[in-house]
Amino acid sequence: MVLFFLISGLFLGWSLGANNASNVFGSAVASRLVKFRTAAIIASIFVILGAVVQGSGASQTLGKLGAVNAVGGSFTVALAAAVTVYVLTKFALPASATQAIVGAIIGWNFFTGSSTDSRALEQIVITWITGPVLGAVFAVLLYILLKRIKISSHIHLIRFESYIKTGLIVVGAFGAYSLGANNIANVMGVFVPAFSLHDLHIWGITLSSGQQLFMLGGLAIATGIITYSRKVMETVGENIVELSSEAALVVVLAQALVLFIFSSTSLSRFFVSIGLPPIPMVPVSSSQVIVGCILGIGLYNGVHNINFRILGEIGIGWVATPVSSGLLSFFSLFFMKNIFGVDVGTKNVPGMDETLAQMQSITNGAQVSGIVKYLLIGLIISGTITFIIYIALDRKKKLSLGRSEEKFWKNLK
Amino acid sequence: MPVFTRTTKNLILKIDEFFDNIDLGIVVFREALKAFVEKDMDAFLRHLSKIEVLESNADKLQRSIENEMITHSILPQHKAEVTALIDEMDEIIDSLKSTLNEFYIEMPEIPLSLGKSFINLSDTSTSAAEELVPAARAYFKAPYTVREKLLKVYYFESETDKISLGIKKTIFREMDDLDLAHKSHLRYIIHHVENISDISQKAADLLSGMAIKILM
Repeated sequence: MVLFFLISGLFLGWSLGANNASNVFGSAVASRLVKFRTAAIIASIFVILGAVVQGSGASQTLGKLGAVNAVGGSFTVALAAAVTVYVLTKFALPASATQAIVGAIIGWNFFTGSSTDSRALEQIVITWITGPVLGAVFAVLLYILLKRIKISSHIHLIRFESYIKTGLIVVGAFGAYSLGANNIANVMGVFVPAFSLHDLHIWGITLSSGQQLFMLGGLAIATGIITYSRKVMETVGENIVELSSEAALVVVLAQALVLFIFSSTSLSRFFVSIGLPPIPMVPVSSSQVIVGCILGIGLYNGVHNINFRILGEIGIGWVATPVSSGLLSFFSLFFMKNIFGVDVGTKNVPGMDETLAQMQSITNGAQVSGIVKYLLIGLIISGTITFIIYIALDRKKKLSLGRSEEKFWKNLK
Repeated sequence: MPVFTRTTKNLILKIDEFFDNIDLGIVVFREALKAFVEKDMDAFLRHLSKIEVLESNADKLQRSIENEMITHSILPQHKAEVTALIDEMDEIIDSLKSTLNEFYIEMPEIPLSLGKSFINLSDTSTSAAEELVPAARAYFKAPYTVREKLLKVYYFESETDKISLGIKKTIFREMDDLDLAHKSHLRYIIHHVENISDISQKAADLLSGMAIKILM
């Protein structure tokens, strides 16, 4: 039953993987610079790595906004966010999972009477605006740098394109890592306070309770990438392909940097150590950052006919998505509690003793940890087998291509 | 990963070799025409067989370049244009070979007084093609210099038109001793030589658009 409650979060993860992987590999796949198979494998591996290694930062900020302390509450909050994203997208309105989950958490706070940390909320809202702006700045700077390198090096176009191709794979991997690190908070952030799992020790690696949940979320994102992102990459990616290949590389790198910055606790600590203010660890919408990057390059290239409708839609999304998600979350929690009798959580008292909070959370360590353990082992084994098959098939294809080429020239002679 | 394979290096070498073939073909054509006008048939035949080899090499390279670009998904955004450019350039060497073959098969009788003009026409027409080759090479290494290099192609094309018009006028208005069949034959041959600069101009138009696109 407890595992059933995770379904809404996993569904959010699946939809995030299906839709947002195109921000990372869309341009490369749509332009056929990188094969979908390669992109999907790299994105899946790095999204899971990012989620497990670096996913805690942004989740903690969401936890500060409202620590959902019952698994029924987490389920309802994640479901409300998922339904909001689905419905708004269905009506062609831009909706980001990041904004939906924030609205849903605030809805839970209202329902349980918990106070919303205004500082955390302020941090999150400011980041929604600074994310795309920072993306635009990074994109322009990187674009200028790359253009200068290209012109001054007199590099052959084909060699340059091959570097870009490799760059897209490397930057795509970094982008997938950052996506996992930053956006896992949307998928599993609300479940973290409600679950308290035993630490999992496997082959010398220790996974904490949160990391086990992030791993499950990461797997859901990877499933979304493998099963459904191809179509999205090939259609949505074409909008980015209108840019040159170097601009596409820059856009993905700038976006990955923004997501990385807002999820790296080490970088934030480094900022503090040199006397700068800490970086807020906040989940940001990768789609909106991408729009910022493309607009930045467009402005640099002297494009004056900026589509203000897109900017307006982003602005509306900042308000409409959290409000609708918050309302849906509030009413769903009401139904879950009063009609289905599900425990959706209790009021969080500021300064509440940690042990009390721990007591309220569900301790279901053995069951979930066992699943995570077997999933991890299964994943490593199936990953290795898939890799060997992939290499073998690729080798076979190259050999048969070489043979047909030889035959062609022989016949022509 | 693409950087670590030899495909890129091989393709760059093949494209360079293809352009080398065009460049050499132009030089050989000039020498062949000079030899024909000077009635040195041994030299002409030697040049003709040389250009046949160069044309066949260029054809092989063209196919190989196109195959590699498709199979290894190289330059996906510019593939269509690059392929079209290679096609147009191949058209030049095809035209050089077919023109020399026309000379060999039809053995046009070029009056002595027109010998210099014919050589001049061939030099100017092939100069247009000659100037196209560095512009095409520059597309891959320094696309911002392509358009200035192409100016010479347009210049030589218009010069070729003027020279051919002058020769035609001389043939039809001043050389009354030639019969109409001979005049028509000479006009036909002039058209062939002139055609080389026309094909070069067509390729230059394509290249100019490609250069703008890549710089955007």
